[in-house]
Amino acid sequence: MEESIQTIDNGGGEEGEIATLRFLDSLDAYVSLLNSLSSTLRQGWLELASARHSMGSSRISSALFDLKVQSASTTCQVTDSSDGSPSDSPHFTLSKWVSSREGKCSGEELTQLQKESSGSKLRRRGAPNSSDGVDDANSAINDSHSTVGNIIQKERSKSLSVFGALVPPKLRAAQGSFETALDIIVELANMRASMLSSYSQVQQEMAEIGDSS
Amino acid sequence: MTFNIHGGYLEAIVRGHRAGLLTAADYNNLCQCETLDDIKMHLSATEYGPYLQNEPSPLHTTTIVEKCTLKLVDEYKHMLCQATEPLSTFLEYITYGHMIDNVVLIVTGTLHERDVQELLEKCHPLGMFDSIATLAVAQNMRELYRLVLVDTPLAPYFSECITSEDLDDMNIEIMRNTLYKAYLEDFYKFCQKLGGATAEIMSDLLAFEADRRAVNITINSIGTELTRDDRRKLYSSFGLLYPYGHEELAVCEDIDQVRSAMEKYPPYQSIFAKISYGESQMLDKAFYEEEVKRLCLAFEQQFHYAVFFAYMRLREQEIRNLMWISECVAQNQKSRVHDSVVFIF
Repeated sequence: MEESIQTIDNGGGEEGEIATLRFLDSLDAYVSLLNSLSSTLRQGWLELASARHSMGSSRISSALFDLKVQSASTTCQVTDSSDGSPSDSPHFTLSKWVSSREGKCSGEELTQLQKESSGSKLRRRGAPNSSDGVDDANSAINDSHSTVGNIIQKERSKSLSVFGALVPPKLRAAQGSFETALDIIVELANMRASMLSSYSQVQQEMAEIGDSS
Repeated sequence: MTFNIHGGYLEAIVRGHRAGLLTAADYNNLCQCETLDDIKMHLSATEYGPYLQNEPSPLHTTTIVEKCTLKLVDEYKHMLCQATEPLSTFLEYITYGHMIDNVVLIVTGTLHERDVQELLEKCHPLGMFDSIATLAVAQNMRELYRLVLVDTPLAPYFSECITSEDLDDMNIEIMRNTLYKAYLEDFYKFCQKLGGATAEIMSDLLAFEADRRAVNITINSIGTELTRDDRRKLYSSFGLLYPYGHEELAVCEDIDQVRSAMEKYPPYQSIFAKISYGESQMLDKAFYEEEVKRLCLAFEQQFHYAVFFAYMRLREQEIRNLMWISECVAQNQKSRVHDSVVFIF
């Protein structure tokens, strides 16, 4: 890798430099995410130990995990590139708290609501003076946002209910930390894919420079 | 005047055990350990030594807690087999809380289709009874009572929660807290009947326990499906907070409202003064510290049974301390070790 960078420095090539910088940026972001993941997991494990200290070891143990068949509350979709070019990389998308309960909001509907609520925030920023029609739209947006929030809150409580219906705030904090860690892991996967894609481009550029010289 | 005839030997035994509790110097050494094997080495010089010496490396934090608990169980069984009435009944009362926890553990685990043997291994040894494994066949509380619990000391506590509803997570939680409420009230009445210093000291300790449970139920039920009425029903019918404090706690929607309700009572003002607004993480430690203070004071008087209760609770606190220190050492987070350690002396 170091020889490749030296070749580009000696031989010039703007595209090669851009590819190298992109690779180094993604490498830096990857290392930052690794550190972030490590500290988030440390915090989560300590919070879990704190909850076990508060509730007792028998109330928080793997013996209470639910072995009944049930749908996953969180899924990860992987989208592969279709044309097979080296510059394209797989993309990972996390969908949290999407298990359907008794025919209520399905995973696709929840993901759509999440997108609408996040999109609605952008629309609201551009419209300071609201008319009646916009007010109705805003209240509908607020309703959908609170619906998403309620569903997510219920799913969170459901997953913790294996340890009891009344759990301390420490256990909820641990859940939050591990949820954040999951987000970071998916971000890491995407960053790694981007990093490998950038590296392939750097190699391609070097090969072209080598051929031309 | 005649206490020593039947209780003198055991009071001397329990005061001897109390002298074996870990000191501040022991905790300082333990907090500086780098690995769990170092903790085992330091504990080998204490009364826990014989219980840990044969454990192979690598140690796990749960192993340390299990072995330390075994020591407490051995001491308790020795005292129980030497005790006569009414001390023997008093000692049995101390274990009913663990019995309730074990019942809930088995029922919850069965609901989650876990193996009964695996669940039995997780039960607290002080709360075991003969027919505990049979709990796995019950589908609702009525069956739970009829098939198993009718022949156990918990039978009288079931009258308030017998329904034919199938068991689910919320029903089980309500059952747990309803049983514990009935147990605390029964223990309180028993101590009142004993009279004397036992009644005086145990009333204070059990009232504190009831109040702490009320606060924990309130905080843990914020944002859940538990209604205000159901929450109110889980509070005990005694304690400093009964009845007006309970009315305020029943309608609390966040930790700051709980603080406002509790700060009207001087003993709890000092507890809530230790934590900042909007935060509840250090509340457990503040309550444990207050509890340890009251338990240590129980040893200042003689010729009463509260010393046995106080000793058992102090040992359980010590085991919690060891558990926390072990977790911080195992996770390489020694800077957080003082977050939850409560010094007893």
